[in-house]
Order: sequence, then C-alpha cells, then structure tokens
Amino acid sequence: MSQRKSYAAGTGLFIVLGFAALVYLATQTTSVVNSHQGASYTVEAQFANVGQLKERAPVKVAGVRVGQVQSITLLPGKDVAQVRLSIDRKFDQVPADSTAVIYTSGLLGDQYVGLQFGNAKSYLADGGHLVLTKSTQPLEEMLGKFFGAGGTADAFGGSYKVNAHFTNVGTLSVGAPVRMAGVAIGSVSDVKADPVKLDATVTMLINGKYNQIPDDSAAAIFTSGLIGSQYVAIQPGGSPNSLKDGDQLVLTQSAMQLEDLIGKFLVNGSSSGNNAGGNGSSNQPAGKH
Amino acid sequence: MSARLGHENVVIGSLAQIGRCGLFLLRILSAVPRSFQHVRETVRQLWFVGAMSLTIIMTCGLFIGMVLGLQLYHVLSIFGGTSATGSVVALAVYRELGPVVTALLFAGRAGTSVTAEIGLMRATDQIAAMEMMAVDPIAYVVAPRFLAGLIAMPLLCCVFCGLSIFGGHLVAVDWLGVDNGTFWSNMTANVNVWDDVINGLIWKSLVFGAVISLIAVFQGYTTPPTSEGVAYATTRTVVASSIAILALDFVLTAFLM
Amino acid sequence: MIDTVQAQTEDRALVRVRGLTTRLNGKTVFDQLDLDIPRGKVTAIMGPSGTGKTTLLKHITGQMFGNAGEVWVDGQNVAELSRDALFGLRERIGYLFQNSALLTDFDVFENVAFPLRQHTRLPEVLIRNIVLTKLQAVGLRGAASLMPSELSGGMARRVALARAIVFDPMLILYDEPFVGLDPIALNQVLKLIRTLNETLGLTSVLVAHELEAIKQVADVIYLIANGKVVAQGDPKTIAGNGSPWTRQFFGGEADGPVPFQYPADDYAEALGFKQGAV
Repeated sequence: MSQRKSYAAGTGLFIVLGFAALVYLATQTTSVVNSHQGASYTVEAQFANVGQLKERAPVKVAGVRVGQVQSITLLPGKDVAQVRLSIDRKFDQVPADSTAVIYTSGLLGDQYVGLQFGNAKSYLADGGHLVLTKSTQPLEEMLGKFFGAGGTADAFGGSYKVNAHFTNVGTLSVGAPVRMAGVAIGSVSDVKADPVKLDATVTMLINGKYNQIPDDSAAAIFTSGLIGSQYVAIQPGGSPNSLKDGDQLVLTQSAMQLEDLIGKFLVNGSSSGNNAGGNGSSNQPAGKH
Repeated sequence: MSARLGHENVVIGSLAQIGRCGLFLLRILSAVPRSFQHVRETVRQLWFVGAMSLTIIMTCGLFIGMVLGLQLYHVLSIFGGTSATGSVVALAVYRELGPVVTALLFAGRAGTSVTAEIGLMRATDQIAAMEMMAVDPIAYVVAPRFLAGLIAMPLLCCVFCGLSIFGGHLVAVDWLGVDNGTFWSNMTANVNVWDDVINGLIWKSLVFGAVISLIAVFQGYTTPPTSEGVAYATTRTVVASSIAILALDFVLTAFLM
Repeated sequence: MIDTVQAQTEDRALVRVRGLTTRLNGKTVFDQLDLDIPRGKVTAIMGPSGTGKTTLLKHITGQMFGNAGEVWVDGQNVAELSRDALFGLRERIGYLFQNSALLTDFDVFENVAFPLRQHTRLPEVLIRNIVLTKLQAVGLRGAASLMPSELSGGMARRVALARAIVFDPMLILYDEPFVGLDPIALNQVLKLIRTLNETLGLTSVLVAHELEAIKQVADVIYLIANGKVVAQGDPKTIAGNGSPWTRQFFGGEADGPVPFQYPADDYAEALGFKQGAV
C-alpha cells in the first residue's frame, strides 16, 4: 500500500508541476491583453497606404492597446484601403474627430494604428468613421531619400572595366550592383586586397551604353535598405572626359557601418538626411557594437 | 505471416496496419469508460510514463533553450536585433521545438517501455491470465497506458517549454548580456496565449501524445509473444512514432496557423 | 447399454465437449472430439506434444472457439455466451498457466488479491483475510511481500494456484503444472491439487505428461492423439487396454502410431540414390 501511495504522490506532484508550468507559460511569457476577448465596437478608417499593417494588429491610444485591426479591404473602385478597427467596449469615449495614424513600433517592428484624440464632444459609436487619417510612411521611401538607392540591374551587353580602391568594402561581394542615381549600370566583378597599398581593389563592369560618365566621378559603397546587401554607387563629377576601360576611380568612399548610419539618422532626424550621405568618411573608426 | 506480407504490396501492407491501428483505437476508446474503475492503474501509469520522463525532458528542454539562445543571439546580432532573442526562443519552442522534441523524447522514453511492457506481459501470459480472471486487458492494461500518455504529453511539453525559456534566458541574459526587461517584454509582446500556447503547444502535444500512446500500445499488444517479437515491436514504435510525429507536425501546423 | 452410460456421465459432467472440430493455420487440431469431465473429480488430459491439450483448455474458457461442435460448461454453451456472461463464467473458473503468469508489477499479496480487487468492493480487512487464508493453504503466507521475480518456479506456481482459487471456483484448470519442478516442488503441487480437490469440492482438469504424477492424483485419464480421444479410463486400467496408442504413450516407446519421423518425402530419393533422380 505504501508503494501505491508513493506513486499517487509522485504522480500528483507531476501533474501539479505540469499545470504550474502551463500557468507560468500562459501568464508570464505571453500577454493576455493580446488575446481578443470581450465586447467591442467597430469603426472604419480609410488610408491611402496601409504598408505592412496586418489584421489583428493592435490599435493604440497614447501607446496603450485599446483594440485591434479587424479587416483590411480595398475600397471598391478606388486605390484606397478600408480598415475596420475593432475597439474594446470599455474604451467608448474616443472623440469623433480623432486621427488614425499608422505607426511602426521600433525600426523593424510591426505596424499598428495609433489614435490621436481630437476635441469633439461627441464620441465614436459602432460603425462610425474616422475621417482624419495619416498613412504609413514606407520605410523604403524614407531610406530612399536617405541613401538614394533603388532600381534593378540591367542586362549587360558590351561593358567596360573600371577599378577603384577602398579602405573598407564592408560586406561588398562579387556580383553586387553598381548604381548611378539609383539605377543599376553594372556589377562588381572582382574584390581583392591590394598587397602593396594594403587596401581593397574593386573591379566593376559597367554597361557599355553608359559611356559618358565623367572620369572624376566618385565611387561609394552603400547599403540597400536597412538590412540589405551592399552596392557601389557612382556619384558623377564635372570633368568633360569620360571613363574608359581600365580607368581608375580616384575619389572613393568606403562602406559605412549600419550602426553609425542609424545612430546619426535617429539623432539628427530625417530632416538632415542631406548631410548624412557625405558624412561617413572612410577614416572614421567603425562604430562600436 | 510477415513473410507473406513481404510479398504483398508495401502500400497495402501499411494501409492494413493503419487500419488495424484505427480499429484498435476504437477498441481502446470503447474500453475507456470501463477503465475508469481502474483509475488507480491510470495514476500508476501516469507516474511511469509521465513523472519518470521528467528528468530527460527537463534536461533536454534546458539544453535546447540554451542552444537556441546562443544561436539566435548570434544570428540576431547581425541585424542588431538581439532584444528579440526572448520572443524568438519562446515562439520557436511553443510552436515547434517544444511539442516535437518532447514527443520524440517521449516516444523513445515512454513509448518503448510501454511497448516492451505490454509485449512481455503477453509473452509471459499475463494478458491471458487477466482474461481468465475476467479482467478485460484492454480496459486494465491498454486504456490506462493510453490515457496516461494522453495526459502526460501536454504536461511534459509545458515543463519542457518552461525549462527551454529558462535556458534561453540563462544564455541570453545572464551570459550574453541581453537586457532582462527587454527579454521578457519582447517575449510577452509577441507571444499570444491562444495562437502559440493553446493552439501551438497544447493541441499539438495532445495529438502527439495520443498518436505515440496508440502506436506504443498497439505494437505491444499485437506483437508475437517472443523476445524477438518484443524487440522488433519496440523498434517499430520508435520508427513509426517519429515518422507520425514529424508528418503530423506539418499537417497540424498547416491547419492551426 | 452405451446409451445409459452416456446419460449417466452427462448427468455428472461439468464440462461436455461434443463433436469439437478446430482447424488452426490449415492444420486440424481437433476432429470430432467428444469428452466429458466429471464433477468433483480430478481429470487428466494426456497426449503427445502438439495434440492441442492447451488449446482444449482455451476452448473450455472461451479464449478460443472451434470451427464446429459445442463446448458446454455447467450447462452453458461457451460459444454462445455474451461477453459479460463469459466473464461471469470465467470468474468461476480458476486457471493455472504453464508459466504461472503472475503480474510482475505486484507483490505476491497483491497478485492473489488482484481478482478480489477487480470484481468486488470488499473491505480491506476482509480481502486481507481471504488472501492470507489462500496463501496459508499453499504454504506461502510468509512470502506475501515478495515480488514475483524473487520466487522460484515452484513457489510462483503455488502463488498462481492461490490466485486461481481465491474466488473458490467450481472448476480449476491446470496447464502443465509439473513442468520444470524439482521432485520436492512437484510433490508439493501434487499434494495441493489433491487436497484442494477434496477440501473445496471442486472439479480439476490437468494437462500434463508426467505419468507417475498423474497416476497418483487423477481419477480419470483421457489420452488424446490426432484430434481424437484414443483412450480413456482410470489410471490402473487405461494402460492395459491394448490400444497401440496407450502402449506407445505409457510404455514410452520412441516409434509407434506417433511416428519418430516427421512426414517427409522418400529418404533415398532425397539423397539422390534412386535411379533417374540424378
């Protein structure tokens, strides 16, 4: 009998332990507020661009979750997105003239709808409309302004070879595009270390039809997007002579550390994007991790 | 018998096996109400398949969490996203690694012992003796082991996940220096009770528990009563359970997502 | 004359087997087998290995059913019983397995108590008393707390016997009870079979080969071969009835109606000595 009792006690302990683990997981590692329970009411808002907004994304007021996105549809016949927001019943005092804005939580985070309260005395009711909306600002657009990147590589016909020396090529690899004004005009054919100058020699193949590039143009290594691959950007100079096969680009700007860029970007704000491009000089030490 | 099966079409042979397994499941389910009078036996089996598996489950859970923390930290540090380590560890463990690894370990630890035990009970006439004592072996031997597996799997899986997250926390926070608050807040922000814990963890582990237990008792009960037959049956339990777990994992993920 | 004898034995028979025909894997095990097991007696069923003696016991307990014929136990046709009625019948039958078949998870006490716990809601004190009484009867009350793995073969068989009689059955079936026992243990089991039969007034059926042991204990002997009863009678007279089967079996001759050679094709031909085979 004592044997039997020890089984029972051990088994009971096991069951309690298992359920304790479940309760712990369910309460400590998840947010119960993420689950969608309880009464809610629905309002509609129209956006010109919802970006990466997904169904069940949170709706927040002053950063506090008040509901979630119920559905995202295209308004029939227009290029306008119709977003239905399901707001918890207990938050029933949202002014009718509030503004719905699509925000991104953090740099790489998901998008959510933020409500900025207006001053109206009347409140939103079920089926109401949010007239004032602000669409998402695509990250690509912001970064595009910032980096001047974009476009795809052309097919190569006849091409010519140009060299450039960089003190740091970052993660630039063979096959990476060469761009001018954001348009691909060629590709990197070789990256190797120069045994004499102790820097990196990058060989680029540039499409033959772009044969009017001034020979005092500068080459810079940029990153496409936030976590994208690196490419060589050609910034045209003012010389009347054009680049020819085997020429060397003398003015170069090495790869910048992404951390530096983001640091500057966040500190200076997007308004100062114009000076960011020329600022990351080659002899600046790499940013700390 | 097996020699004759060898000549038959393999597909038909395995279909027949699945069919027999399904019929056996019906027999077990119809015996479940009668097995409630043997609730002590179920508790005893829960001790053997559940509590006795805790050590291996906890150890493996801890190490899986630690290696996840290590790997994810280094991958995420490339993108500067080490703060997401916590949530990725939790999601990976809840949705896939927890149920699947627990199930594989469970099949190896508890499934084989159930098969061998029932096989030996048949070989030593204990099953026949029960029938002679007017005790239904399906209700007394098979159903309690099946139920115990069904109950034990989700509980073991929860323990596994808890230990994994602890292991991930150990490596990411205490060792590699991810901020403690960030680790937890990121996890709570990205893990959903219904989608990840209930659908991902509980449902999957329930299904896996049922499948492993069914395969284990079926192989044990139908094995030829010889030492060779028992040896083969335990091997088949591990192989069949593993295949079933991985295949079902895909199907369940496709349906539950 | 034959009819009246038949009627008398049927009256006193607890188990009646009529026209039982069983085929297993294409081999005929029983061929129109007729057999009566009288109440209150010890009946021994003997026969060469592989004649289906254990299979006959399985027919009596409804673990197996014949292709034709009937098995009646205490006035009930086993094959026609519902599952519950069959289980009810089995509760009144004790069965001693060849290898004892003790439940390895439980100690001796719990093994003997197992049928009581499964089928009754008796208070613990009563269960304890019944179990200890039965263990005392087989002389193993002191071994109550041992596990089956700690028992010798003879002890395990006595525990199994105690378990088989825990419900005071009307019929007890012994499947090869003497196999693998040393002379002391064999005599202990033999004595138990006899005393249990007399004190509890139950009917015993023995399946065994040990002729000397059977002669001491059995009231009636059936000799089965080729799926039929080839000889029957009490131990003193059966050996002298003159049939070649009894002469071979009881005389222990290597060759006879049961051939030494397993049926095979011609020996000389198999070795290639016959003309034309090369």
